[in-house]
Amino acid sequence: MLRRIPLPPFSLRTFYRLIHYHHIMATDEETKPSAATQGLPVHTKAQNEDFNIVATYRSLLSSDREITMPIAAIESLIEFLSITPYVTSMELVEKVKHQKALLLASAPNPLPILAGADLFEQFLLRSLRPPPAASSSSNLTEPMSFDQTREHLVANKQLFAQRAQAARDNIAIWGARYVSDEKVVLTAGGSRTVTKILLRAATDQSKHFKVIYILEPGNTRSQAAVDELRQAGLEVETIVPNKVAYVLANQKKINLVLVGTEAIMQNGGIISGMGTAQLAALVRAIPGGMKRFYVAAETHKIVRKTPIAYPIVAKMGVRQRDITRFENLGVDLDNEQVKEQLLRESDEVDYTDPELIDGIITEQGVKMTWQIWELVDDYI
Amino acid sequence: MPPSQTNYAPSLDKLIKSLKSQPYEASIEALIFLLKRRQVKGDDCAVATAHILLQVVARSKWHDVDQLLGRVQSVGSRLARAAPHEPVIGNIVRRVLGLIRDEASEDRNNADDLGSDSASDIQSLAPTNPPPQRPAPTPVLMRSNTAAPVGLQVSKSMFNILSAATNADTPMTGASTPLSQAQPASVHALRTEVINGIEEIMDEIQQADDQIASFADIQIHPGEYVLAYQPTKTVERFLIKAATRRRFTVFIASIDPIEAGTGEKPYAALRKKLNSHGVTTINLASNGLMAYIPRVNKVIFGAKVIYQNGGLLVDSGACIAAQAAREFLKPVIVLGAIYKFCPEDPSDEAVIGELGNPSSFVSYADGPEVEALDIENTVADYIPPSLVEMYITNLGPQTRHHLASILADHYKVEDIGYSLHDGEV
Repeated sequence: MLRRIPLPPFSLRTFYRLIHYHHIMATDEETKPSAATQGLPVHTKAQNEDFNIVATYRSLLSSDREITMPIAAIESLIEFLSITPYVTSMELVEKVKHQKALLLASAPNPLPILAGADLFEQFLLRSLRPPPAASSSSNLTEPMSFDQTREHLVANKQLFAQRAQAARDNIAIWGARYVSDEKVVLTAGGSRTVTKILLRAATDQSKHFKVIYILEPGNTRSQAAVDELRQAGLEVETIVPNKVAYVLANQKKINLVLVGTEAIMQNGGIISGMGTAQLAALVRAIPGGMKRFYVAAETHKIVRKTPIAYPIVAKMGVRQRDITRFENLGVDLDNEQVKEQLLRESDEVDYTDPELIDGIITEQGVKMTWQIWELVDDYI
Repeated sequence: MPPSQTNYAPSLDKLIKSLKSQPYEASIEALIFLLKRRQVKGDDCAVATAHILLQVVARSKWHDVDQLLGRVQSVGSRLARAAPHEPVIGNIVRRVLGLIRDEASEDRNNADDLGSDSASDIQSLAPTNPPPQRPAPTPVLMRSNTAAPVGLQVSKSMFNILSAATNADTPMTGASTPLSQAQPASVHALRTEVINGIEEIMDEIQQADDQIASFADIQIHPGEYVLAYQPTKTVERFLIKAATRRRFTVFIASIDPIEAGTGEKPYAALRKKLNSHGVTTINLASNGLMAYIPRVNKVIFGAKVIYQNGGLLVDSGACIAAQAAREFLKPVIVLGAIYKFCPEDPSDEAVIGELGNPSSFVSYADGPEVEALDIENTVADYIPPSLVEMYITNLGPQTRHHLASILADHYKVEDIGYSLHDGEV
């Protein structure tokens, strides 16, 4: 990716090659150790040949609308743990890494999965570390041994999903405070967390607020969120994305712009549904009134990666139509093979700079963007 | 000292003197009265709140930590609601709550022979094994009503989703988990500890200005031109301290160049002191301030309160100075003691600004003007974080990006979640 590939007449084949290249880049780091394992004279694949982590992950996601992608990733990795026979701890870690790589390779947008899988892996690895000296003596949780960790993870699979759910409820509590009386909230993207915040704010009798929902025609997630809000008795107006600047400039009662996100990057920037960056930039650019741009997301959506190079989304390993390099000209996008490799257009994402974000509402309180690395720091 | 301050000073002093002689409930009412009439404002709010909370801890009846926390919370929210424009009150209440939690956990740890220093995480507060069953403490008003924010699941780790700690299992009912059931014997010890702690906070408030001033000669260099917009007591002390070491020039900007009534120029006392150290002072009217900015090396404010995001509340007009400084790329330095750091984001009301009495601008004698004009006099300004270069606290200079760790050091997460204004009784 770093070297400049001379671009001959663009054919479908070069395009596939590029996609494949992306694919390797995204998973390079993770596949290396697993390759090493395969070289080892251990009985690696034999037992769980029939376990398909990707299928498990997808069925988890489709079975429960409430489950987030990182949590689904964690759950499918736990599933893997539970069927894996007892091996040495290092071998197990290698196997988990291999499964993680498989899972990452399966999704055009690996960031949410990476967030969950990284968290899981770090949690597993932490138990291998020698317990830190005196400093943690006051901690309630004694550092668990590796086997204990494993048992704990397998035994409490259900619990984690519940906790994730509870995290969302907590976010609703924090977030509802930012919804003020007689004001208008502008939102987009059909985030379940945002919906929860708004529903919770609506239960407060002293607050009468309205919602403007940016809804592109045909977006089912946003439509579902709008329906849910309307059913709860909220006054929701929907607008198409072209009207955002007009509405921001003319509706002076908007004081809060609230979005959800797929992944929070280490620097506090977010990778979220296409249009978020545009919205954030407009909120900052259009004068008048005091508008704040807040992101609602659980901390397990934090990805331990810092975006530095352009095009940011592609460098982060997301495979979507990258129009910045005109690579897609002449490519038949209806081709099934291409479709499988790339994100669907409705799922495309963009990157919002931390400068444009006023705060991130997490279940641990409202964090400024520069506080995100502290959270990450804690878990390395 | 401006005469306006001498007017209310006696009443707060009187209140503090009478604290011991009257029931604490009466003192609370008296302070609420003073707050509502704005006879106590600014830094005095912090002192007064600490005094009142000290009385609450020392003299109210409580049998365990939960009760004490509830008592402090309810008194705190009454005070805070009396003066919603003074977030400092909330800060002090949160500090005291955090203090109580700390002391309680230390107590418990000693009892269990776990023996540890400062347990700063709520996880350490959750009892390892269920405490002996006893009748649940009577739910305190504040708690039961604001159960949700109090019961927020708090953990500083991203791992909490996977961890084995039990407190995260039932996050929403966390409020009802008793923190620690102090034994009657330890109640007395706890009371003494907390009282000592509050006295320390009071000392801290008192010494903050001096501590901030001790950084003066690092920040102000010889030959500089410093703009002080309506210097507060903190800024005055800072400038005077700098004057003992450095030769520089101070522009003092204020709204009216001649103070009404006295005919004296504003900040005469400050000017006299600065002049005696050989520092030149120049008075500016604030509307002419822009013209001097190119000359100025740095702009100094005293903050009323500094929010989580780095924004701050200041006396009105200061935002113009800050924006002017921004235009000319001059650094803006904010002085604010640690207790002024508020772990919240600014409310909409704070951002819009607070309106005060406009009578000093238009006299009632001037009939047509009074009739024809709407006159608004903002008394507080919000300065967005992007305009501020540096914050000088009593713990040293800080940038915006480190405010979070200051807040984390001084407030407990569960107290940040506890909202003083939302807690209607």
